[in-house]
Amino acid sequence: MSDIPMRDTELQVSGNRLAGIVRSIARHRVLAVSAFLLLFPLIMPYEALAVNILIFGLFALGFNLVFGYMGVLSFGHAAFFGIGSYATGIAIVHLGLSWLPAILLGVAGAGVVAMIMGGMAIRSRGIYFAMVTLALAQCVYYLVYQMSDWTGGEDGLTGVKAGEINLGFFEFNLVDPTAKYYFMYVFVVIAIFLFSRILNSPFGAVLEAIRENENRARACGYNVLLTKWYAFVISGLFCGLAGSLNALHLSVVPIESLHYHLSGQAVMMSLLGGMGTFFGPFVGAMAFLLLEDIITTMTTHWPLFLGTIFMIFVLFFPKGIWGSVLHWMKR
Amino acid sequence: MSDKKQTTKKGVSRRNVIKGVAAGAAIVATGPALFNIAKADGHAIKIGMPVPLTGPYGKESQEQARCAQIAVDQFNAAGGMGGRMAELLPRDTKLKAGEAATRTLELIEKDGADFICGSLSASVQLAINAVTKERKKIFMSISQSDGINEAKHFSRYTFHEAMNPHMTAGAVGRYVFPRNKKRVAFLIADYAYGHEMARGFKRAGEAAGIEVVAEVKHPLATKDFSTFLPQIQAARPDVLCLCNFGYDQLNSLKQSSNFGMKEQMLMVAPALLYSQRLSGGADPYEGVIGGTNYHWTLENSIASSKAFNDAYRKSNNGMPPSDYGGYGFSGVASLLKAVKAAGSTDTDAVITALEGLKYDNYKGGQRYRGCDHQSVQDVHIIASKSKKDMANDYDLFDILHTDSANEGVLRTCDELSKLT
Repeated sequence: MSDIPMRDTELQVSGNRLAGIVRSIARHRVLAVSAFLLLFPLIMPYEALAVNILIFGLFALGFNLVFGYMGVLSFGHAAFFGIGSYATGIAIVHLGLSWLPAILLGVAGAGVVAMIMGGMAIRSRGIYFAMVTLALAQCVYYLVYQMSDWTGGEDGLTGVKAGEINLGFFEFNLVDPTAKYYFMYVFVVIAIFLFSRILNSPFGAVLEAIRENENRARACGYNVLLTKWYAFVISGLFCGLAGSLNALHLSVVPIESLHYHLSGQAVMMSLLGGMGTFFGPFVGAMAFLLLEDIITTMTTHWPLFLGTIFMIFVLFFPKGIWGSVLHWMKR
Repeated sequence: MSDKKQTTKKGVSRRNVIKGVAAGAAIVATGPALFNIAKADGHAIKIGMPVPLTGPYGKESQEQARCAQIAVDQFNAAGGMGGRMAELLPRDTKLKAGEAATRTLELIEKDGADFICGSLSASVQLAINAVTKERKKIFMSISQSDGINEAKHFSRYTFHEAMNPHMTAGAVGRYVFPRNKKRVAFLIADYAYGHEMARGFKRAGEAAGIEVVAEVKHPLATKDFSTFLPQIQAARPDVLCLCNFGYDQLNSLKQSSNFGMKEQMLMVAPALLYSQRLSGGADPYEGVIGGTNYHWTLENSIASSKAFNDAYRKSNNGMPPSDYGGYGFSGVASLLKAVKAAGSTDTDAVITALEGLKYDNYKGGQRYRGCDHQSVQDVHIIASKSKKDMANDYDLFDILHTDSANEGVLRTCDELSKLT
């Protein structure tokens, strides 16, 4: 946990061109990831998978703020993803709003839930924090499950159609997969930019200070509890946006978007990609979903293969894929 | 912004930029080739089949995929549609609605599937249906659901080959209740399917004048029913309707036998599954009455059943096909018959052909009703045999009665159109 690979200071290795490239990527990380994602659908087998990676990359990115940068393990992030999805879905299906207010409502809904959950959970630490967030997320799950008039309950919320989107100068339909990808792309790039700004701000530095030594951060005069709560809520907002986009992507909101299994996936993606690194969550989401996609079409015994691959990563590459790449570059 | 202060003078060299761009271009150029090797001939008629190949319903859906493949093979052996062959693309939905929606998008976007046929579980069906109707692709659903017939979910692209809980529970109720079984208790799995089944029973019961003496709900995947069963026992019903599925059904049956309830009341399980009975053994199911779309012994009276069974036995070591396998076979067979009749894979032409289709794929005459594309078909009332009465390992059920195909057992078009 002590190494913070994305800081320039640690990358100043001379005489290594690769390190130079990595350094320039690190310096322009928003630009780099935007450029990569711009070309991304071209190297993917199909657009829906690219959209999935985009959405789950954003989800893991938001989760990573709390997990990787602040060092607090939450098992309740599915609640933010799910509420983002449901709020957007309900805005479109029941309230008849158009896509932009629906997305904003999704993000806001996730924010409100994060405020409440954070307020209740933030005083506990370590495994207790994980358990409290898990329990609260399960409460959200059952609440939504029971409100079947609004949410569709077991059947999920269907009919979430944004359909034709008219920007005044440009019209497109989300049924077209390429248009859908670039529609999502715009939101994700804005989110990544904001995320980078947050990390680079003094606030971001305090987060890492809390991760390294909470008592010292407190002794320095920072309000640790409040900072943790802010981070939790901000993280919830990003995950809410991911959920909101997912509702538009699938045109349904399945009940499992609130399931704790999804919270586990966020942990897995962050670990696989490299927690506490900027690109890690996207790399993790890509590796996870791509592997899953390829292996499930080849064999019905896919959990066996995926499990083995995860174990290899946890045992031999504890820094995750991107974390390990950074580590090798530095040597 | 501590990062900016440390910016070195040189930054990125032009050479590195060019290299980067070249590398990027190479990835872009080779990417599709890397992943799309398996892309099949564009002229094949492609039927995407999203089913939960892994997980609790894995056995049923692998059977569905096997049977669907038989339908494809028969179509191809008969020369296809003027030489155009069909191809089945099974995909694992993992029994999750979100995964199923993604898989369906994959089938449509990447594989260029002409039709989608599949799924188990109501929520997954509705998710696939939402994706297909937005993209104007035909979806042939092969799992029980009432919701999919209702105006809220139905579209002209939606077809339902499976029976629905309303007709299954209704048929079983109409058989059981008039035979002096007026005091009725319900054990209901607390989710959509359980409630739909119970509703179907109550509708059938209204006509027979039943009295509901107990109605107990249990959560999905309950292991211990000992807290639920005494309430039912205390109400002294003539008949207990088990509105649950899979392991819930098996566990509740086993435990109610232990409570001695089988001697006190008749057990009724609306969807009495072949594969569940096969793995659960004869004893817990003995004497239980239920409904089904198909049991292989129909081959004694129906020619198409005989043909289907024989085709299946040939590739499965003499084992007969299951009830859910029949859905898989028939769903795909109907699509291909309609394709042949329409002479094209054009969606509108195939819809017209399906709407006019009168078919006998595996269980006697069937057709799709105009207003909700629900397959009108025979419902068989079956009783589980005791071990000593079984002629062979697969001789599981007696067919007691058949509710022959008629629209009367379905909800009316008018009623469905109001459910938005």
